[in-house]
Amino acid sequence: MPREIAILDALVPTLLLAFMVSVILSWAMDWLFSSIELYQYVWYRSLFRFATFICMFSLLGLLIY
Amino acid sequence: MNLGQFRVSRTLSILKLAQRDWLREDAPTMIYIIKVLIACLIAMWVSLRFELDQPRTAMMTVAIVMQSRTGMVFAKSYYRLVGSIIGIIVSFVLVAMFAQERVLFLASMAIWIGLCTAGSMMFRNHQSYAFVLAGYTICIVGLPATIYPELTFSIGVTRISEIIIGLISASLISDLIFPQRIGEVMTAKIRRRFSDFLDMLHVMSIDNIGNTSSQSAALRIVSDVFELETFRASSGLENDASRTYRLRLSMLNAEFMAVSTSFHTLEQLLRRQNVTGHPEIVKALFNLYQLLKNVIDFDNRSVRDEIEARQLADELKYFRASLQEKIDLIRKDLPNNLVGNEQLDFEVGVELFKRFVDEFYVYTSTYASLGSKAAIASKDSIAEHPPQLGIHFDSLAVTLAGIRGALSLIAMACIWIFADWRSGVEAITIGIITSTLFASSPNPRKTVNQFIIGALLGSLLLYICNFQMLPQAHGFLMLSLAVTPAIVIAAWLTTRPAYATIGSGVFIIFLMHIGFNSAYNANPITFMNDVIADFLAIATSGILYALIDLTTSQWSRVRISKKLRELVVLACIQDLPQHPSILETRARDLVQRLNGGHRVASSQDKEMVDWLLSTLEIGRAVIELRDQVTEVGDNETKIRIAECLDQIAKLYTSPSIQNQMAAIESINLAATALDNVMVFSRLPQFIHHRLLTMLHFIRCALLDKDSVLSLHNQSKELKKESANAS
Repeated sequence: MPREIAILDALVPTLLLAFMVSVILSWAMDWLFSSIELYQYVWYRSLFRFATFICMFSLLGLLIY
Repeated sequence: MNLGQFRVSRTLSILKLAQRDWLREDAPTMIYIIKVLIACLIAMWVSLRFELDQPRTAMMTVAIVMQSRTGMVFAKSYYRLVGSIIGIIVSFVLVAMFAQERVLFLASMAIWIGLCTAGSMMFRNHQSYAFVLAGYTICIVGLPATIYPELTFSIGVTRISEIIIGLISASLISDLIFPQRIGEVMTAKIRRRFSDFLDMLHVMSIDNIGNTSSQSAALRIVSDVFELETFRASSGLENDASRTYRLRLSMLNAEFMAVSTSFHTLEQLLRRQNVTGHPEIVKALFNLYQLLKNVIDFDNRSVRDEIEARQLADELKYFRASLQEKIDLIRKDLPNNLVGNEQLDFEVGVELFKRFVDEFYVYTSTYASLGSKAAIASKDSIAEHPPQLGIHFDSLAVTLAGIRGALSLIAMACIWIFADWRSGVEAITIGIITSTLFASSPNPRKTVNQFIIGALLGSLLLYICNFQMLPQAHGFLMLSLAVTPAIVIAAWLTTRPAYATIGSGVFIIFLMHIGFNSAYNANPITFMNDVIADFLAIATSGILYALIDLTTSQWSRVRISKKLRELVVLACIQDLPQHPSILETRARDLVQRLNGGHRVASSQDKEMVDWLLSTLEIGRAVIELRDQVTEVGDNETKIRIAECLDQIAKLYTSPSIQNQMAAIESINLAATALDNVMVFSRLPQFIHHRLLTMLHFIRCALLDKDSVLSLHNQSKELKKESANAS
């Protein structure tokens, strides 16, 4: 994968896009989890969210590099 | 138990008490300070790591958005981001257009700042903050960009990166470390408000009617309503149970406004009756009220939580069902020799009481439903959306605020240009922060004074940090140690409501001039110049706040009372259907802007509250009257009542004793017309009854000698006479 992508001729780091994608993914996951009430099995909700976000972002980052 | 053991247990219990106090009072403050510190340091570390120009921008962002409640941090971060992006775009445009022409550049910037200040006056809370930041961002991006126009884009991108770093670290820290959920605070607030309200109902009795204590309660209610609305809006961004019942909360807010107005109307009526009415009627009405008091009494105390509120709601339901019988009983006991008007006095009281009980029941049951899990699980089944708390403002005041913001920029720019002064950029930046940030505060002059104290303290800390500690700091750890004391002090100050502005002053001044960017670059001469520039700028905006005083002056009060009267006029002439809660929110919003949630300070504040209550009283009565009139088929009655409404509108457009008399006269005419046998036979009985009571109610309110309207008219008359005499 290229490390920088040109969007409208501005070079944007691919990592930034990965960040955006993982933010959107974690929002979607958050919505899904709270709608099926999965969060009642989670001890520390915000830590859980943060951790899953980090996992997603790192995974995408590893795919790029 | 021997003496030694006793002593030990006593000491232990004292320690336990102390520990509980500490956990309740000090621990949250400590946690908050630690959170601010960690977020600041993370922001600083990340910015340094990414080799951004100004780690201080990231730190400043943290300081700005950090709040003790997680949801508030999210909300503020969101608006900070929006405001900054808009500000950066505008500064790109301005630089592209006027990079070579500083006068034009500064002039267009002044216009932008004016717009932003006006915007921050128009909106509430976080939205208002977005405007402040849109103005402030143009300084931190646009001004450096004029000096190096070729770097504009990269400056803009770097600033926004720093801001985002600050926002992310603030949000993460406040969400991960001991998050303080808004839902809990909100529940506590709602609970307290409910019990406060019950206490207020409890206190009212025949002996102390007409005291002014209820006015401060009324003012507190006004600010409570808006505070809760802010919480409610912020809780949407927070992810916990409170999100599921947001709609219910706005419902509760609207109902609370309605019921508190009804209560004050009832109170006013009882006060008037107590002064002028027939003693038997006063006694009868208070007996009626006593019945309600018995219902809300829970073993001689008020209701504590939602479960008890559920019981209370059930009891109120029974009470409502049997109310008519009780009223009939009391009516029977009334002496026979009452004249028509006195009879009407009683009927008006009964009508109001019924309305109050109805609204109180609705409010109580909504409140009780917050507590039950079943109601929350069923999500919001409320079909009807509660009316939104819209935005209502005095357009002249907003315009003047905009002009004030623009003027302070122009003043600083003139000094910069004519004195050829190197710290002009600093002066403009601080000038803009102070002139936009405090525009919506209830007493900007006082706020600026506090800010100056904060700036002094900040400069002192800055000097110590920049020239004593930073030169000796090596590595990130030492750097963190050097900046920690100032951040802790500022964060601690912001937790104290009385010193919050001082704290923000320390934060802003300290972080603006902190002596490192990517490397150490403090210089005593620049430092002194910048500090002088800061004080000059703060003083300038302080002077401008004093010159164009929109909140504390008599002028603004007169304007607000006029606006309130216009609301009554609108209620008289605007097309139906009108919702009383729209009137409520408008009137309350106007007064809240003036007061900003502070306690009743002066007699003028009291006057404002009187105007508010009288507006709500008459406005609601007028709307109800008009609603009834639409049901009437009879033309003569319609014409009579339209005449009344015209007169009331006239009275509220230009209040004077003549107009007051004319309005009362027209109401009298309408009432006699209604009494006519011919009319009586043409109308359904309950409509006839309601029309008559509404008219009588308005008449009583207008006749009241102690009402704010009458006092206003009298003082006007006196002024006219003395002018004629001289």
